[in-house]
Amino acid sequence: MKRVILTAVATVFLLSGCISDVKPWEKETLAKATMKESGTNPLAKKYEEHIYFSKEASRGGSGVAGGGCGCN
Amino acid sequence: MQLKISLAAATIISAMAVHAEDYVSVQYLQYNENSNRTAVSAPSLIVNKDFGTDYTLNVNIVSDTVSGASEAWYDSASGASAFSRGTGVNASDVKYGNVAYSDERIAGGVVLTTRMSNRDELTIGGNYSREHDFDSKEVSGEYMHWLDSSKNSSLSFGASYQFNEVLVRIDDTTSGASATTVSNDDDDDDDGESGASEVYDADALTLQLSYFQNLNAQSYFKIAAFYIADSGYLTNPYMNVVRNYNEVTNKADVLGENRPDSRVAYGLSLKYANALTDNISAHIGYRYYSDDWEIDSHTLDSDLYYELGDDWVFKVGLRYYTQSQAKFYNASKDYFTDEVYASSDQRLSSFDAITYKSDVEYFISDALSVNFSANYYEQSTDLKATYFMTGATYRF
Repeated sequence: MKRVILTAVATVFLLSGCISDVKPWEKETLAKATMKESGTNPLAKKYEEHIYFSKEASRGGSGVAGGGCGCN
Repeated sequence: MQLKISLAAATIISAMAVHAEDYVSVQYLQYNENSNRTAVSAPSLIVNKDFGTDYTLNVNIVSDTVSGASEAWYDSASGASAFSRGTGVNASDVKYGNVAYSDERIAGGVVLTTRMSNRDELTIGGNYSREHDFDSKEVSGEYMHWLDSSKNSSLSFGASYQFNEVLVRIDDTTSGASATTVSNDDDDDDDGESGASEVYDADALTLQLSYFQNLNAQSYFKIAAFYIADSGYLTNPYMNVVRNYNEVTNKADVLGENRPDSRVAYGLSLKYANALTDNISAHIGYRYYSDDWEIDSHTLDSDLYYELGDDWVFKVGLRYYTQSQAKFYNASKDYFTDEVYASSDQRLSSFDAITYKSDVEYFISDALSVNFSANYYEQSTDLKATYFMTGATYRF
């Protein structure tokens, strides 16, 4: 847990030096579909994450909903 | 209770600002593993609709048809089935290989996002999934608070709780050496048909705290810490282990695996996206995961998008994953004796995996697009899989 907290703090600290105040009229690029966290096809992203959930032993980090059995 | 594509996962709630848009999307997934193992066909429908500027409703439904086989230990004298079990079987009859299965599933979810007067967002969701041996109900919620007037940074807290019911075939070999260790069997009702199954609970609590920050007009990052607590019947009812293998007496026991009835995990995920040029953007992500089954994992994920004119969007991606094995895992047939917890499920082993991803979307008009993706997944175990997705999206 200590390692996780240190990584989080270090990441925020390092990136905080790069932050500039982006005005609403400057957000055209950030609003593009190709910049979305879920990508251009959110359903495909969710399929992909569930395949990993079913075939690997770890999960988490992409949201609070989801899961299931994935027994086979 | 097979591969369960998307299940409740159809409503993963993002901590990012909602890019509201009305659309209907129909997708079809085909997933196939090597050696005639799992195959999944999954059509799905998702609808996203804004109601004014304060509400967005997202509804989805998916149907899976799963067939094929999983690798497991079994007593070949009684057939290649997950339930080909027994005590004192001939050791020479103990085999490891494909056991056949098939399943069908229907699932759906609803997510409602509400925006407050200060534009903070409250998102609540519900999901339901049903198949012949597994029921899942889930509720989730997340609150996102903007930290600055320009809405460049936000803090989100989300929680979900999943109520699962697992139908487990009960016989004298189902739970191996520790049938009594399953302590949450408060349902204790047979399925009423075979008289040989019981319903067990398996619940999951997920908490996540996220911080999102626009770095400039071309990039952002997000960091999230998460906590997951699973409890109840966490054993895979289709997986077996070999106990008391004895070459001298030529005897062995093939029994159902047994896992602890709780698992606590935590981790950290990082995401960074940058528009490198007007038509190229890159996404890089990392996730660290650790749980009290002694499984640690690291995941590196990257996607690169290229927009060709107004009509084409291409994506290529690469994902690397590595995990350590669970403390009660062993693949051998001559390892387990009277251990309480034992599993030979390959998913609990130590392995690496890599995914090669590709995707193309073509805009027939401003409102209508079609997409196709082809992906290849390979583990350092013998598992290899391809999955293809195609579909169409109409925006209105």
